[in-house]
Order: sequence, then structure tokens, then C-alpha cells
Amino acid sequence: MAVILHRRGLFPFRAPAASPSAVRKHEGGFRRSRATRALALGAALVSLGVLAACDGSPSSSPSGSNSAAAAVAEIPASTVVPGASAATGYGSTATAATPVPGGVLHFGVLDAPAVIDPHEASSYPESIIADNITDKLTWQDPVSGKLYPWLATSWSYNSSLTRFTFQLRHGVTFSNGQPFNAAAVKANFDQDAFGDAKLQITPDPTHWTGYIGTLTPNPYEVIVEFSKPNAGFLTFSSFSGDNDPGFVANKTLESTKTQRLIPANVIGTGPFIVKSFTYQQNVVLVRRAGYNWAPAPLAHDGAAYLNEVDIETIPEASVRTGALEAGQLQATLDVAPTDEASLRSAGYQILYQPIGGQNIAFSLNADLFPTSDIDVRKAIIQGWNRAALFGPVLSSSYRAAWSVLAPNVPGYASFENSALRYDPTAAEALLNSDGWKVGNGGYRYKDGKELTVKLLGINNLAPNQSAYELMQEQLKQVGINVELSVLPIPDFEAQEAVAQTTWNGIAGNTSRDDPSVLWQADSPAVGNGSYVQPSSPEYQPLVNILQQVQSTLDPAARAAATAQAQNLLIAQYALVDPVYVPSQVIAADQDVHGIVFDAQSRNLFYDAWIGK
Amino acid sequence: MSWSRYAAAKVGRALFVIWAAYSLSFALLYLIPVKAVDLLFDPQELLTISNATKQQVAAEYGFNKPALVQYGDRLWAALHGNFGTSVQTGAPVWKAIEEVLPPTLVLAAAALVLALAISFGIAFFASNSRHPWLVNLVETLPSATVSVPVFLIGLIAIQVFSFDLHWFPPLGDQGFGSLVLPTFTLAIPVAGPISQLLVNSFQRELSAPYVTTSLAKGGTRSWVIRREVFRNASLPALTIAGITFGNILAGAVITETIFSRTGLGRLTQTAVGTKDIPVIQGIVVLTAGLYAITNLVVDFLYPILDPRLKARIAAG
Repeated sequence: MAVILHRRGLFPFRAPAASPSAVRKHEGGFRRSRATRALALGAALVSLGVLAACDGSPSSSPSGSNSAAAAVAEIPASTVVPGASAATGYGSTATAATPVPGGVLHFGVLDAPAVIDPHEASSYPESIIADNITDKLTWQDPVSGKLYPWLATSWSYNSSLTRFTFQLRHGVTFSNGQPFNAAAVKANFDQDAFGDAKLQITPDPTHWTGYIGTLTPNPYEVIVEFSKPNAGFLTFSSFSGDNDPGFVANKTLESTKTQRLIPANVIGTGPFIVKSFTYQQNVVLVRRAGYNWAPAPLAHDGAAYLNEVDIETIPEASVRTGALEAGQLQATLDVAPTDEASLRSAGYQILYQPIGGQNIAFSLNADLFPTSDIDVRKAIIQGWNRAALFGPVLSSSYRAAWSVLAPNVPGYASFENSALRYDPTAAEALLNSDGWKVGNGGYRYKDGKELTVKLLGINNLAPNQSAYELMQEQLKQVGINVELSVLPIPDFEAQEAVAQTTWNGIAGNTSRDDPSVLWQADSPAVGNGSYVQPSSPEYQPLVNILQQVQSTLDPAARAAATAQAQNLLIAQYALVDPVYVPSQVIAADQDVHGIVFDAQSRNLFYDAWIGK
Repeated sequence: MSWSRYAAAKVGRALFVIWAAYSLSFALLYLIPVKAVDLLFDPQELLTISNATKQQVAAEYGFNKPALVQYGDRLWAALHGNFGTSVQTGAPVWKAIEEVLPPTLVLAAAALVLALAISFGIAFFASNSRHPWLVNLVETLPSATVSVPVFLIGLIAIQVFSFDLHWFPPLGDQGFGSLVLPTFTLAIPVAGPISQLLVNSFQRELSAPYVTTSLAKGGTRSWVIRREVFRNASLPALTIAGITFGNILAGAVITETIFSRTGLGRLTQTAVGTKDIPVIQGIVVLTAGLYAITNLVVDFLYPILDPRLKARIAAG
């Protein structure tokens, strides 16, 4: 419907531009008549349609990895404090000079947070709120992937990776005074995993796969038990993406979903507290006095520097940058790739970090013609040039996807010079020998059927549409007709339900800085993004290797299994067509310091301060 | 037609409009191929959520019942003022709407006042000026205002008056200053149809015999316009109250988005964008209700303002 018609609209305002014509239509008949009324009622419904069209906006999404941003701060190296790299790795703001406490950071974001309950967090701004008001058991370094103690001082696990034991830090309290202890951990984990129908809290079976329960042998020790190996759980204890496992007080856990919209009911142990929440306007976080349990890799101890963080929702891109330049904001997320250069030359810091997890990539449908043909899949993967995205579509804040995993995920393997090397000649040779001959319009045909590949994407990240169009254009050169639909999230979800029989490839990304993300998204026994059928030769090897990834924490063994899994997915079975590594990008005033990107490229304001 | 039959017919029609809008929105939303339960989960994880889990959650929300039963349940609850809770936020629908309604009402009222002032200004000027080129120029304004996209007006206004001149804040809802640019942006497209109508009806009235009579009696053109033409020419403006209402609502979506204001327009956009069915239905019923009431008021005002119609109704 209207939504589909406007699927190509990446910008929120393209669609409403239609409204003047709707108005014009009504200019004629002002005489009061039945027809006029019908028209006017029509106008009301049309305006509904117009509104529907608005959702071409890149925001509006409950998606986990909305507009990712991220990585490497382009600041003079001299301003980076040596040693801060453990925490701030890629890209936090400059931390030179002596931090100045106090002040308010006005921070622009595209998406309006719909909820402030950390466990329900899903969009990027929701994750940011969750991250700053809660703490996790562990802290993951965004570069090395290494875990550091946070609310857990140490941990251990059994060899089958079904029991994880954490020793808890003493002296931690929630902001309402409730002590943080083993009972609090158990209550949080139980509700995360199982949900609570009475409170309208949905379960999270993905991250908590096989969760049996949490034992509390003493007030400062928890044992988390699973029915099957869950290697990914260890880093999940630090996770900052969707369904954030940060801890909330009993008062929050006992509140309904509706009650959790009230800041007073959302209580964490973190360095900030939600002060106010005005839907579609802003969320104000206020510093918590007495906070003293930040993870060691962060730059300081004690309470946060900033008095307040005002997270302002600003849907329109030019208004975000304009408000930054006008001094209404000190920093803004969701900077369009095309705005980066001018902001940088105007003296703003551009801070970014690639998002750890599975890249923006098409999972090719192995159960649907013509992508059921491995030669077609290989030709797609080899037939376009990922490096060509830089310039027309992506800025230097993004990375080329030389694997299905982002480069900072432990176990990453690059296929830049092998399976993902741009080789149109090889792609054409594959198709020729497979019987696909070039016919009318330059596209290939076999047995009278055109080589048409239907691909589905989400418009939640600004570069998606243009990136896919570039791929489409280049694949046309080798004779593949790509039919592309880039939809808003709800429409995408609707299509996802019928994808197995409709779409040759679906693109998305998944934030999770752990190789288990492959198991989660690509194992035929779990997410099965490529619809690999049990009868097909790819099925068992993939299930086995991804189960290995999920069943070992020995670094060498896990890296080997992860590399092998990527090799199967990309080189051998050609089931995934990586497109690009998404980033979260921030533009900030020069005097803003210490904004940290964590392992999922969500931002922590704990170390942040504003200089003079 | 007596007064009571007239009233019953008009009220009945208003109620029908509200019911029809509700039912139509329900039907439309059911035609959209989204499973309501899917929207409750993170899209990244949707493929990994088991059907058993989905069914359990669907049952909790009542999404598993047949569409007609859901329609009946919801309509019955809606009749009792209960539109359910937002799928996105978990807030009760009426509460979500109540929270965003005041800023939109303030904006809409301010824009309507400004739009009327602009419209009458244009009509008065176009009828009163003796310079044909100026009249021509002014007469093109109404169509110009509806031809320029609202978002463009808003973006230019924000760039010039906020970012360049620093006269008004570009964001949010912080008192009078932050209302100026959104009001201006919203008033322009709303003024379009009204001023178009007024220009036409001023011209029609000016060629009416009573004007010729007044002028012959020695009234100046400006006096005649102010004292006699004004009232007669204004009446037809009431007839497009419904269209004006629709324009304001559609314009509010864009205006509130550009100026990062919370409001009914933004809520509507988000609800439609996220297929938040309970919220959409609440908004549809609210707007249909306001629309129906607007027209009802016009229906009852009209005979009072226009003696001819009054006589016709009384004569039955």
C-alpha cells in the first residue's frame, strides 16, 4: 500500500511531499455537498496514508542496530591518552587535559526511544539509555573482545559450558538503596529469559537459549545454568544491544511494561538515573552521586563528570547538524555519511566505531530458485565490488565487509583476497558454465527463465538503500537482474515471515561482539538465515561448525571454528553476501571529551565531560 | 424538514463517520501483511523466536483470535473508552494521546489563527487594490502556498531564523519562542485553500447587485468590502472547515517532525510506521470524532448565520 509505494524513500520527508497535491485536489469543490464531505473524510484517510508513507524514515524502528555508528576517532593522536585504549579503543573522544566536572551534554539522536526499561531496549537510543543507567557483570573491550570484571569480580565455567559461576562485587547498590546481590541477579536473569506474561514482558529466548535457571549459593555468588553449551553467554554478560542484560531493581522487575515508562520505576545501579522521559522529545539522565563501581578499563573512578545528559530526538538530519552548529547540541549521533566531511572541515570531531557483530549482509536463500543454485550465489558474491562503496555511499568512518563478521569480533577472518575479491570475469564464467546465457536486455537466461534475484533490505541505516543499489548496478553488468525492496522495519518483518518462498536474499545486521552471533543468525538449527534444508549437503557441516563455536571458549579452538564457519558460509557454500560494516558516527564539539563506544558501539557518557 | 429531524440526521451522520473510520482502520490494518505478534520482538531476532513462544505471546495479547472476534472485542472495549495499550511503549492508548494532544492543540490553534489572518489579508488586498499586477500577484499566493511542500517551508524557516539569525530555537517545546516557526510553517499550507476560497467569494460578492447599489449610494470600495462584502464572503469559508482540519493534521505530522516537537502528528507517524495498531485506532477515532464535531458545529451554525437556510429548515 502507501508504505510499499514509498519504500524507496530513505528520507522522512519525501513521502509527505505528496500532501500538497492532495490539497490541490480539494481546491475545486468548496460548495457544501455530500461529495465535499466524502472528500474531506477522504482527506482524513488520505492523511493517514500520507502518514503511513512517512515511515520511509530511517528511524521509527524497534531495530537492534539502528543507525549504527562508530569507530575510529579522527583526532590528533597526541590528544589520546595512552593507556585509555583498553576501554576506548577505536573511538572515544579526546581525553587530554584535566576533566571538568559538571555541565549538561545535549546529545542528538534520530530515533525516539519508545521505552526506558533496559531489558526492553531495542533501538540504538534505547540501548544508550540502558547502558548508562545500568551495569553488567562484565565489560568487553571493543577492540580485543577481552572481558574485564565489572559487577562480577571473577568468573569460571564448566568444561561443557553449561554452568557459569560469577563472584559478585560487594557494596553495589541500586539507586533506590536496594543492595545488588545474587538474588538481584537471579531475579533479573529469570525475567530476561522467561518474560512475565502478567507484566506484559516478552521473553528473550535468543540470547537465553537453553537457560535453566540461576542458583544463588551465597549472596555474592551466582551459578547460571543452561541445558546445552552456551559459549556466547560469557560475553553476553557484558552485552549492550537489544534486550540489555543490565540489572534493574526489584521495583522495576515488579512493574508492568506500562509502569516502566515512568522514570521513578526504572532503577539501575549505573552512573546515571533517568530523570525525565518525554516520548518523542527527549530523555534526561542525571548523574548518580556515590557511584563507584565502573569497570577498570574506563578512564576514571567515582561518579560521572556530567551533571546531566539530555538525549534529544531530532528526526530530521539537517536539523541535527544545524542544531549542533547553532550550539543547541554538543554532540549528535546518526550523522549521515555525506555530512561528515563538511562537519569535519567546520571543526567538529567525527567519532565513529564499526558495530561489532554480523555485518550488513544478504543471507542468500538456498531454498528458492535461482539462489538455490550455488553457482548463482557465488556469482552474486564475486560479481560486485565492495570497495566501490567508498566515496559514493560510504565515508571513511565505515569499513568494507571482507567477511560476514565485523573485523573486531574475535575469530574474524578476511576474504578480501579470496572469495570476496571483485572478479566479474570469474562470476560470468561460473554463470556461463552453469548454462546461464546472456539474452534480452543484457540479463542471463536458462531454460527460458531470467536470472532475477529478489532481495529485501531494511531502511534503518542511512547507507543501506544506496549500497544495495550500487550492488544491483554492478551485478547487472554480469547479467544478474536484482529486484530490490528496501522497507521500513514493520513491513520488512511482514516480508520476513514469507521470505523462504519469496525472497532470494534478506539483508540485516546483528549487534553482538562475539562469534556466537554467527550461530544465532546463520546456524540452520537456529536463525537459519539462508533456509538451508536438513536434506541439503550444507546443512550438517554448518550446524556442526556453528555448534562448535557455541561449545568452546578455548580461544584458539574457538577462533579456528569461527574461521571455518565463515569459510563455509562465504567461500564454500556462498550463503552470505556481505555488503558493508555499519558504523555509529558522532559529530561533536571540540570541547566534548570522553564519549566511549562500547563493544556494540553503544555510547557511555560516564567518562564524558565538556571543556571550556 | 424540521429542526429535530435536521439535528438527528446530522448527529447520526457524525456517529456513522466515527464508526466507519474505526471499522475501516481495522480492516485496513488487517489487510497489511504484518503479524501483530511479530512486532513485539526485535526484528533481528525474529527468525530465532520459536513458534511456540510467538503463540504464547500472541495469546497473551489476544492476537490469536479470529479477526472478527478481535474486531468485536476491540469495538466493545473502545465503546467503553478502552483502546488497549500501545504495542511499542506499553502505554494505555488514551494516555499516550492525552500526553501529546496539548502541544498539538496549541500549535493547531495558533496556526489556524495565523492562517485566517493571512487568508483575509490576501482576500482583502486582492479585492481592494487598484493595481492589476499586484492583484494578479496576490491571487497567485494561495496556489503557491499549497504547492510548496510544508517540509521545505519548515527547513528554510529553521535554517534562516534559527540557525542563521538565532531568533528562535530550532527544537522542541520551550515556550512562545519555539512556537513561532512551527506556527508559521503550519499556517502557510492551511491558509492556501482558505484564501483561495475567500478571493473567489470576495470577487463573486463584489459583482453582486447589492454592492453596485452601495457603491452607487456613495460607499467607498473599502467601506463596502469591510461592512458588507466581508460577512457574506466569509460564510463559505466555514464549509471547508473539514478540509482545514485535515490540512492541519497532515501538516502537523511534518511540522512536528522538522521542529522535533512531541505531538499528535509525531505520534501518528510513529504509530503508523511501527504498525502500532491500538494507537492508530485511537488516533483515527479521535480525529474522526473531531472532524465529525467540526462539521456538526458548522451544520448547526450555518442555518443561524444564513437566514435563507434557516427558513428552509423551519419550513420543513
